[in-house]
Amino acid sequence: MVKNITIFTTNTCGYCQMVKTFLKAKGMGFEEVNLDHEPQRRAEAHRISGALTVPVTVVTKTDDSQEIIVGYNLAKLAPAVN
Amino acid sequence: MSDDQPKQYDLVIIGAGPAALTAAIYTTREDINTVLYERGVVGGLAAVTDVIDNYPGFSNGVKGLDLAEDLRKQAERFGAKIELGEITAIKDEGEHKRLQTDSGTDILTRAVLIATGSDYNRTGIPGEEHYYARGVHFCATCDGAFYRDKRLVVIGAGNSAIQETIFLTRYASHIDILVRSEVKASEVLIKELQPFIDSGKVSLQLGITPKEIIGDGQVVNKVIGSNKDNQDVEFITDGVFVFIGLKPNTAFLAKSNVKLNSVGFIVTDANLETSVPGVFAAGDVRSGATMQIASASGEGATAALKIREYLEGRLHQTELQQLEVMP
Repeated sequence: MVKNITIFTTNTCGYCQMVKTFLKAKGMGFEEVNLDHEPQRRAEAHRISGALTVPVTVVTKTDDSQEIIVGYNLAKLAPAVN
Repeated sequence: MSDDQPKQYDLVIIGAGPAALTAAIYTTREDINTVLYERGVVGGLAAVTDVIDNYPGFSNGVKGLDLAEDLRKQAERFGAKIELGEITAIKDEGEHKRLQTDSGTDILTRAVLIATGSDYNRTGIPGEEHYYARGVHFCATCDGAFYRDKRLVVIGAGNSAIQETIFLTRYASHIDILVRSEVKASEVLIKELQPFIDSGKVSLQLGITPKEIIGDGQVVNKVIGSNKDNQDVEFITDGVFVFIGLKPNTAFLAKSNVKLNSVGFIVTDANLETSVPGVFAAGDVRSGATMQIASASGEGATAALKIREYLEGRLHQTELQQLEVMP
């Protein structure tokens, strides 16, 4: 079960838009961290994902385990939020 | 219909970039039952382009994401359905085409439009794969924000390379553009780039062929290139963005009878129909495409009209056959 979802994005990132569209279509809420608005959180996104890219989607389950999905990757995102 | 029977459509459009969405606007307005399958981003490469200045109707240019969003909304307004998923194979069964999806289900359709576009080529040099998304990138609008006040290398000399360099100047402290021979971008883009060259923020490194991307295992710290005299030249950098031309997204056609040219683009006739009747192609995936968003939209409209003719022709053929068997 999903407890909450956080997505690291930027204003210009088309793949970020796709992740948001996918989650909205499934009726799932999420917190968005826009790195253009909060550049001080870039290091956090990098630390969590190991990558210098967005989107980074952090799916926290009710047992507090987390799944990190780097990029727009439906094969990983869809099962992570089901 | 039971759940295990394949869904049926008049038209399946593979892709959801400008060619696909334009075609969908036309076909859905004519009540052709249409679904689009997109494995990546709706809007295609246009959606990950910062600003598009040469698409007609936008006197001040348009953000790629905004254009993609408006195209999507316009197609959906007329009833187009966009499925997020991948078509993995096409099988010609005559009157119908059977499409396999990555979810394991099949779809039956009377016509197919392949508008899967192209993706940026890889250089294939050592380090590129290892540092992918950790210092090597193919999407400036996605990843540029991580390089605020950092040094960058851009590899490429065409419109995309120059346009994305201009975008990256909002973040980077300095950008070296490695150009194998000469800059091939449009004059307009070169003029836009010139102030950044004049200010020293961007350096054009002509005659440089990239050889290797080097880092400490975690992050990139330099690119080695060779100059015209075959001597190694070193470029200190925090990241590398690669824009060296496009490769068509046609791998899923490997086992089909759709004819491809020697570099994998789809061969069509003047009606944009492929070697398989009822299967059409439009946009950047098509052999002879000009790789322009405006052209892709135009081809999408043309393909839609030709598909309508095809479907009507087939419809009439079926009606004639039905008349012939009537007592």
